[in-house]
Amino acid sequence: MIKIENLKASIDDKDILKGINLDIPAGEVHVIMGRNGSGKSTLANVIAGNETYEVDGGNITMEDTDITEMSIENRALEGIFLCFQYPVAIPGVSMAYFLRSALNAHRKYQGKEEMDALEFLNKAKAILSELGLDDSFLKRSINDGFSGGEKKKSEILQLLTIDPKLAVLDETDSGLDVDALRTVAKGVNKFKNENNSVLIITHYQRLLDYIKPDVVHLMIDGQIVKTGDMSLVEKVEKDGYSWLEK
Amino acid sequence: MIDTLKKTSLEFFHKQGYPNKKLENWKFTSSKNFKKFSKKEISDISIANISTDETTLLFINGKLCLNTFKNFRYRDNIEINELANIEEKAILTFSDTFMNDAMFNLGMSEFDGGHYIKFKKQMNVEDPIKIVNLFQNDTSDRRIVSFNIFHFEEGSQISIIEKDINEGAPSFNLKMNKFICDNASNLNFAKYVEGKSDCHLLSYSYYKVRKDVCINMDSMNKDAIFSKEFIEIDLNNTGSDAKVNILNLVKDEQHLDNNILINHNAEHCTSFQHVRNILDNKSSAVFNGKVIVAEGAQQTDSNQSNKNLLLSLNSTAFSNPQLEIYADDVSCGHGSTTGALDENSIFYLRARGIDQSSAQKMLIKAFAKEVIDEFSLSSVQDISEIALDRWIDG
Ligand SMILES: Nc1ncnc2c1ncn2[C@@H]1O[C@H](COP(=O)(O)OP(=O)(O)OP(=O)(O)O)[C@@H](O)[C@H]1O
Ligand SMILES: [Mg+2]
Repeated sequence: MIKIENLKASIDDKDILKGINLDIPAGEVHVIMGRNGSGKSTLANVIAGNETYEVDGGNITMEDTDITEMSIENRALEGIFLCFQYPVAIPGVSMAYFLRSALNAHRKYQGKEEMDALEFLNKAKAILSELGLDDSFLKRSINDGFSGGEKKKSEILQLLTIDPKLAVLDETDSGLDVDALRTVAKGVNKFKNENNSVLIITHYQRLLDYIKPDVVHLMIDGQIVKTGDMSLVEKVEKDGYSWLEK
Repeated sequence: MIDTLKKTSLEFFHKQGYPNKKLENWKFTSSKNFKKFSKKEISDISIANISTDETTLLFINGKLCLNTFKNFRYRDNIEINELANIEEKAILTFSDTFMNDAMFNLGMSEFDGGHYIKFKKQMNVEDPIKIVNLFQNDTSDRRIVSFNIFHFEEGSQISIIEKDINEGAPSFNLKMNKFICDNASNLNFAKYVEGKSDCHLLSYSYYKVRKDVCINMDSMNKDAIFSKEFIEIDLNNTGSDAKVNILNLVKDEQHLDNNILINHNAEHCTSFQHVRNILDNKSSAVFNGKVIVAEGAQQTDSNQSNKNLLLSLNSTAFSNPQLEIYADDVSCGHGSTTGALDENSIFYLRARGIDQSSAQKMLIKAFAKEVIDEFSLSSVQDISEIALDRWIDG
């Protein structure tokens, strides 16, 4: 699905990603764990095309298309979806208007007919109820005054509405109570199928009790230093990261 | 009475001359721009292409058109007098701030044919009254001065939508309006300008507010090439609320200035100023807002907010919210922000597949809508949203 080769990125001349290699085939769930500040969110943002970061080398390929130079919106339309660690509040733009615009941008790109307001509402309502959110959620401004949990659920609502090819979840499990965590996990499992991929960035094992990862990567100082299976997560939970440093 | 007033005003103006930049109220808006205009005789006026209905009061170059008044639905509830017949000085005078402003005195010395329009006690209109100000002009560099007084008697509940239409050669419209709001009156006053115009505008609106009054003043400006609007509200008795919501859309080399002064002279009043400017190209905007809470005006609740959205590096916003408080038991807030569209918000929207230009438009609209949503009349909200869309696309 997505293939990242020797990716280097910096901000204000400070090197953050120092040669990342990552290959996530369709149908797989990968996990990245790593210390605070090791560059996980940077990687997620560079995949999504955030122009604040300078890409200094390497490339990103999405199903054989090189997207390294592609605009933010075109990557999204090609199937990349980032669940933000800190979703921004946008007062004055309703969730309904935003979500329908986003969905229709995708549908247009795929050569499908745009969805009218009613059709969209029915689709959105079904997802809302699965996430335990009230219909009135759609009337609120994007992330404006949302609680921490609501923000994360809002990201999952968008994920399920847009139904992309690759979901990058940047600490979507942080700050959630036990029930909300279960709801979010349920949402991700609903999204997941053999034709799409998931990249989970997390600090904890708890989300992975619900979503079984195929591959686990450990990141230190802008590089992936170890790749393995679920046992790596257990080791990190027990011993932290210092054993990875020579 | 009027003649004495005109005479002293002219003397005042001759003595002071055009205001200079050292004056606080004229710091960021140069009165030089008004100098090329002068009073000129007005030739015959055709009103052929203005359709009015029975809820419209038509003013042509500032003068009430009595012909349309004959068909006015509420004429039995309205009393009209020519200003020339008013002998009571208190009715004609404005605030000290205005009476000491040179441009205001120029206007006072020069208007003719204004009216004193009284909305009678308990008058209640369902549909908003429309005031159409038609400025029709065939000569360049003409100054058109108007002066009208609107008096809302006790318990009246009136909504007014004022629309300026400019036709012909660009003029300099100098408008002076006084609003007297008696006890328990309720006034929604919304205004906007229709059509592209290269007009200069200088307006003085003075609200004299008695007890338990509620005023909403909403306006959206986008067309004047150069405009300065003074609003002064005197809350002289207890229990009144005044809300001012203004949205300015400026581009090219437009310059817009809002100068608002609210005087809390009595207890238990609230006031709210919300001014947002969206600036593109080389345009500039000024917000000069001031609230003065007098000694003894306890339990005052007041808020001023000015937000400026800069769409171009060459646009400029001057913001000067001020607060003077001489009472101790009050709650007063004021704030001002100026900045470009938020990059993180644009990234967020684009990361969901929305193209850059649509994302920017969405954010501009959201910024504007926060004021439009405060407008008291839904029809004005609708008109404003359509005008906003056109402006953004245009
Ligand atoms: N916009 C930015 N401006 C300046 N520095 C940045 C910016 N974004 C990231 N950095 C820096 O890059 C480094 C990596 O940050 P990043 O957010 O990618 O870490 P992370 O692995 O996601 O950490 P966490 O686990 O705390 O979320 C940090 O040193 C951070 O300060
Ligand atoms: Mg992070």
